[in-house]
Amino acid sequence: MDAVALKSISFAYQATTAAALSVPDLRIPQGQRVALIGASGAGKSTLMRLLDGRLRGWQGRARVLDQELDPTRRPPRAWRRQVGFIFQSYALVERLDLHANVLNGRLGHISPWASLTGRFSPRDHQIAHAALAEVGLADLAGRRVDRLSGGQRQRVAIARCLAQEPAMILADEPISSLDPETAATVLQLLQAIVRQRGATLILSSHQPQLIAPHVDRFIAMDAGRIVFDGRPADLDEERLAAIYKGASDVRAA
Amino acid sequence: MSAPRDYEGIRRSAFGSFVTWAVVAAVLIWAAADPELELSRLAESGPRIVEFLGRMVPPDLSVLSVAWASTAETLRIAILGTVGCIVLSIGFGILGAQNLTPAWVHVPVKALLAVIRGIPLILVAMLMVGAVGLGALPGILAIAFHATGMLAKFYSEAIESIAPEPVEALESAGASFVQRMRFGAWPQIAPDILRDTLFRFEMNLRESLILGIVGAGGIGFYIQTYVRSFQYDKVATLALVVIAIIVMIELVNNALRRRLR
Ligand SMILES: Nc1ncnc2c1ncn2[C@@H]1O[C@H](COP(=O)(O)OP(=O)(O)OP(=O)(O)O)[C@@H](O)[C@H]1O
Ligand SMILES: [Mg+2]
Repeated sequence: MDAVALKSISFAYQATTAAALSVPDLRIPQGQRVALIGASGAGKSTLMRLLDGRLRGWQGRARVLDQELDPTRRPPRAWRRQVGFIFQSYALVERLDLHANVLNGRLGHISPWASLTGRFSPRDHQIAHAALAEVGLADLAGRRVDRLSGGQRQRVAIARCLAQEPAMILADEPISSLDPETAATVLQLLQAIVRQRGATLILSSHQPQLIAPHVDRFIAMDAGRIVFDGRPADLDEERLAAIYKGASDVRAA
Repeated sequence: MSAPRDYEGIRRSAFGSFVTWAVVAAVLIWAAADPELELSRLAESGPRIVEFLGRMVPPDLSVLSVAWASTAETLRIAILGTVGCIVLSIGFGILGAQNLTPAWVHVPVKALLAVIRGIPLILVAMLMVGAVGLGALPGILAIAFHATGMLAKFYSEAIESIAPEPVEALESAGASFVQRMRFGAWPQIAPDILRDTLFRFEMNLRESLILGIVGAGGIGFYIQTYVRSFQYDKVATLALVVIAIIVMIELVNNALRRRLR
């Protein structure tokens, strides 16, 4: 069963600008770990927004986790909570503490009106606590996010995504602002999580060498198109150089 | 190449600041040169001021009950006026936020709020007394109207400071619209909103003390009555009560504000 199936996708931010996405065909099986690479502006974030159901006005057919996406409207809550997104800028609520931020990951699971008082069920608290423990931040649960380092924020963002209990995780440049050691920890963490849950992982990065050991597949993009799609082993230095130089088809190189 | 132009810029700004100071000096001289304004009188009236202050002591404590009752009315005016301006400010604050409404809505709303801020409270109160008669009601209406000019602006600015990413992250996690507002947007601005509201309440309370002068209720009415009838010992008592209240508000407010970050 494919977690992602795209067919004849095209998208442009404005009618006058060049296409930000142009993907004739893309399939990603459930449970696969995929790395998205490509120069800045290649369309990685745009593609991930499409897969998260937050892009509007695209053309083609997109099926993600058994849901046909509609380019004109927001997908239902029950689907959205199955797709976890880790934002490059963390997207945490700075004035709330770690535990409250991670609890926010539970919102898709609870009734919109019951949650208004801010009271979550003991089970939600438990899940949030476990998620924080999993990223090694249980001790800081009561600290406000605006007093954390970048690496700690990144782990809180991952914990919020875990609390969501997603079947697919999309991580937009999860290691871009981390030192090499923290980056390795975060990658191992993501990998362990998806293996344990059988979830699909799609992450974008500008550090192919660093993520190669953690993924099954590399997809390289340039100007909205896929220019390489293969195993990490097939991605030699020559091809990498070609990808970042903007070659139209790296397989031919 | 750009050096001479920079030099030119400095000379021009030096000349500009000379003109500015010359204008300021001219205005000050013009203001003080009023023939009816005899500054010498200030010096001559020394004994008079001493006598005036002397008539304030000892304060006549027989008006204490009047003071408390009218202070309670002032407090009620300030509280209900603040409630009114909060309600109005939520509406206008949302309409005036440029990240929520198109320019043809938030630009005129912001201009309207600036105009409201520009109208002095005492003028609004006089108009309200004319419209609905004497008493606390015109005071409440005046406060609600006048304070909205500032509070709605603060609310708009708070709303404009909301970072969209955390709200979008909750959308991605499956949160409904109300949940996104409650858990993504509100926590970002709650301390600011509460601090601004408290600040405006403090201002409302201080400003409502004078509303009685134009007949819009509260302690100001008695202060004016006793001043007019030269009963300065009673005025002194009322003034002490007013000072006590203001100090108290200040203390309570500071204590509360320290907890809002
Ligand atoms: N909100 C937007 N409005 C208009 N154009 C946009 C917007 N977001 C992205 N673009 C454009 O779409 C193209 C793809 O952008 P995208 O963010 O998907 O690239 P990316 O591969 O994620 O780059 P990076 O590695 O820098 O994150 C770029 O040319 C970018 O300028
Ligand atoms: Mg990006």
